[in-house]
Amino acid sequence: MATGSGALRVPLPRARPADPRVLLVGLAALALAGLVVYPLAQVLVRSLRAEGAWTLAAYGRAVAPANLRALWNTVWVSAAASGLAMAAGTVLAFLLVRTDLPGRRWLRPLVVLPYAIPPFFGAIAWTQLLGPQGYLMRPLLDLLGLERAPWTVYSPGGIVGVLAIHFFPYVFLTVAGALERMDVSLEEAARTSGAGTLQVMRHVTVPLVWPAVLAGGVLVFMGSVANFGIPALLGLRARFYVLTTSIYSALTLPDFGLATAMSMLLVAVALAALLLQRWVQRGEGRFAVIAGKAIHPQPLRLGPLRWPAFALAAAFAVTIAVLPMAALVLTSFLRYFGAPLAAASLTTRHYAYVLGLEQARRALANSLVLAVAAATAAMALGTVIAYVHGKARLRGSGWLDAVGTLPSAIPHTVIAIAVLLAWGRWLYGTLAIILLAYVLAYLPFTIRTTAATLQQLHASLEEAGRVAGAGPLRTFRDIVLPLVRPGMVAGWILVAMPASRELTMSILLFSLRTETIGVTIFNMQDSGYTQIAAALAVVVLALILAGNLLLRWATRGRLGF
Amino acid sequence: MRIRHLVGLVLVAALAGGAVWPAGRAQAAPAPGGTVVLYTSLPQEIATSFARAFMARHPQLRLEVLRSGSTELERRIFAELETGGIRADLLWLADAPVFLTLRDRGALQAYRSPEARQIAAAWKDPGGFFTAGRLINMIIAVNTTLIPERVAPRRWADFPRFGRTAAMPNPFFSGSVFVVVATFVREYGWAWFERARREGIQVLRGNSEVAAALAAREFGVGMTLDFIVYGMIRDGAPLAIIWPEEGAVSIPSPVAITRSARNVEGARLFVDYVLSREGQQALVELGIIPVRADVAPPRGLPRPSEIRTLPVPFEWAAQHAAQIRQRFEEIMLK
Repeated sequence: MATGSGALRVPLPRARPADPRVLLVGLAALALAGLVVYPLAQVLVRSLRAEGAWTLAAYGRAVAPANLRALWNTVWVSAAASGLAMAAGTVLAFLLVRTDLPGRRWLRPLVVLPYAIPPFFGAIAWTQLLGPQGYLMRPLLDLLGLERAPWTVYSPGGIVGVLAIHFFPYVFLTVAGALERMDVSLEEAARTSGAGTLQVMRHVTVPLVWPAVLAGGVLVFMGSVANFGIPALLGLRARFYVLTTSIYSALTLPDFGLATAMSMLLVAVALAALLLQRWVQRGEGRFAVIAGKAIHPQPLRLGPLRWPAFALAAAFAVTIAVLPMAALVLTSFLRYFGAPLAAASLTTRHYAYVLGLEQARRALANSLVLAVAAATAAMALGTVIAYVHGKARLRGSGWLDAVGTLPSAIPHTVIAIAVLLAWGRWLYGTLAIILLAYVLAYLPFTIRTTAATLQQLHASLEEAGRVAGAGPLRTFRDIVLPLVRPGMVAGWILVAMPASRELTMSILLFSLRTETIGVTIFNMQDSGYTQIAAALAVVVLALILAGNLLLRWATRGRLGF
Repeated sequence: MRIRHLVGLVLVAALAGGAVWPAGRAQAAPAPGGTVVLYTSLPQEIATSFARAFMARHPQLRLEVLRSGSTELERRIFAELETGGIRADLLWLADAPVFLTLRDRGALQAYRSPEARQIAAAWKDPGGFFTAGRLINMIIAVNTTLIPERVAPRRWADFPRFGRTAAMPNPFFSGSVFVVVATFVREYGWAWFERARREGIQVLRGNSEVAAALAAREFGVGMTLDFIVYGMIRDGAPLAIIWPEEGAVSIPSPVAITRSARNVEGARLFVDYVLSREGQQALVELGIIPVRADVAPPRGLPRPSEIRTLPVPFEWAAQHAAQIRQRFEEIMLK
């Protein structure tokens, strides 16, 4: 930023003919038209057209009994996962934030760890733990004296469980945040009025955090509705399909009409969830007591329950965070999955194979390039939109914000189809088409994070720039940008991380030489190469954990876990 | 704080750069002789090993392999045919019938390899559009710790009886299974599948997945390919191959050069290599039954002439591919 300012040190004209930032609005509008509006419109149009005429025929096929069942499966599986996640997330948040539970410090990063692990890694790991002959299943069967498992993770219940494990950190984090911000004087008031601990909880604490619980639950629901990897890896054996996996099958036929019509169903479910979220948060302002500094209340004494509660919480944390990773590591060293667990069955062959595999190295490189490019592009566009809307309040910028944040309601499967329909003819088989999908998917996130940072920036700072004679663009560059940069860096990283292991969009858009690491691991697992999939997953997990530690160190613990 | 940020970013960028650089360089400067692109359904590790063997023989060529299930590759192939031609120079799939369709659509080019003289006439296209590069056999595999020999199925007709303890692969993924489904429909009618569904036969995805699930004791009996089971037995898995009394389903897996091939010379060298003694020997070492009479099969596996096989209706399967898959889906997958 410091370089190149010398050339511009000419006094700028004082009288402003037209705000040059209007140019920014124009450019952003153009970018959004091509990136968001045109592709998404393609999905709708394609769902209504067949053989050159307008028709509802595709919707006729989309509401066939099997597809309606997929719709219903999506809804109930996601609702069940949200329910489980809300229960577990709330209890854990309360235990870790408000009580004197031993080991709170190290339990917290452990329970949010599933958030950092790609969901389909979890699905792979859980097939190894609770599959018909899983590491946990075998001793369990022996214990019960059963020949074969009456239930395995290859089932609707398994899908619900793995979804809940992977998305429950949403609930945990929102509830923990609410508990930390809560105005404790309300509880104290109740207590001084003679209410007991349970009464205080029932009448004060729970009503106060309930909106946070619901908000987290809706996030889990939306994440589950849009998820592809978990139902794809766990649902096939049970012949259990949800919308995302049905759309994937429709594309393999290929039946674009059906795929797009079912995409509209998927969008409808996501929109319903979004409306629910709006409704849940409608009165948030009343009690979101973010204002004052958090007063750390006296932790609730668990008394004799202290150690039992610890045992439960620790067992839960180990089950969701440690066991899956241990399963992947163990499997990656086995000659074949199911081999007796003895030294003779161990081999490092699979690591030698995947590390020497050109396709795997290329996929890793592709994913890194895509993550960096997508985060940068989404951040650039997101910053412009957040600025012209939230700060400069230029004409027409409200539309930009609305259109730019629209994709947050669109499941990633649909985004991939949209990009394919819009740009596939020219860009199929290139990394560019995957990049477009990533930018489209992550743009709303960058707009929101930058807008939040911009809000903290007082208008007087910009005015100072103007008074000193700088034009609007110069003010933006020299005053606004440096001040919001930390927020932007955080937003950048929060896009780059999920993008680097993306599966749902990449699986529909990849081609020869443009495989991402997510696609490569998914396909290996899906074809039955359990060991090499596990070995590659362990390599990627190591990179993810290293990246997280680096992030934590670089941000002094503000980001990462 | 800001310095830490910068250092962190630089490190991340360096990591990213380090990972990208070698790949970028490798693509920027291909070896003389160029790159040959192969779409194949050979199992992952076998595809890699065979590609290495080929490149060791022809160091001036770079063989790039896209590996997936036959059906998924076919989806890609037909989509690419619509948009400017198949992007691969070579196809080597288990779904033999699809080569008839591709030939008739003009998507292949003829090449009569000098090595093809050693291959039986039944295994090559009269016009030279494709030649079998390996012989794969759908057999019954059992996990010997779960299914003792005396109760193991001897015939395909016995297979459905094993119900929930038995697994078969999915013709929506694997081309060889598609051939088997077509063969069974002609041999036993759809009744075989209706019974299999009633008894609870589990449909998995690929042949490799069935073999892996058998080794993991998830199932006792499975329908899968001979060489995959053979490889797992070599790895110590407690599996056994049963050659069904009615006959295995033997599928000559064709290799062909596409009409849109960019590196025709390189593609021809690959076909020559696949059909050569050396190439067939490389396949034998990977557990695959050779198509040349002058190369001995892997130890413990039969010569092609010793294999009893069910009659495979290649033409019929090619003509009715969509209906066969659809009916299978209705019976087994809904």
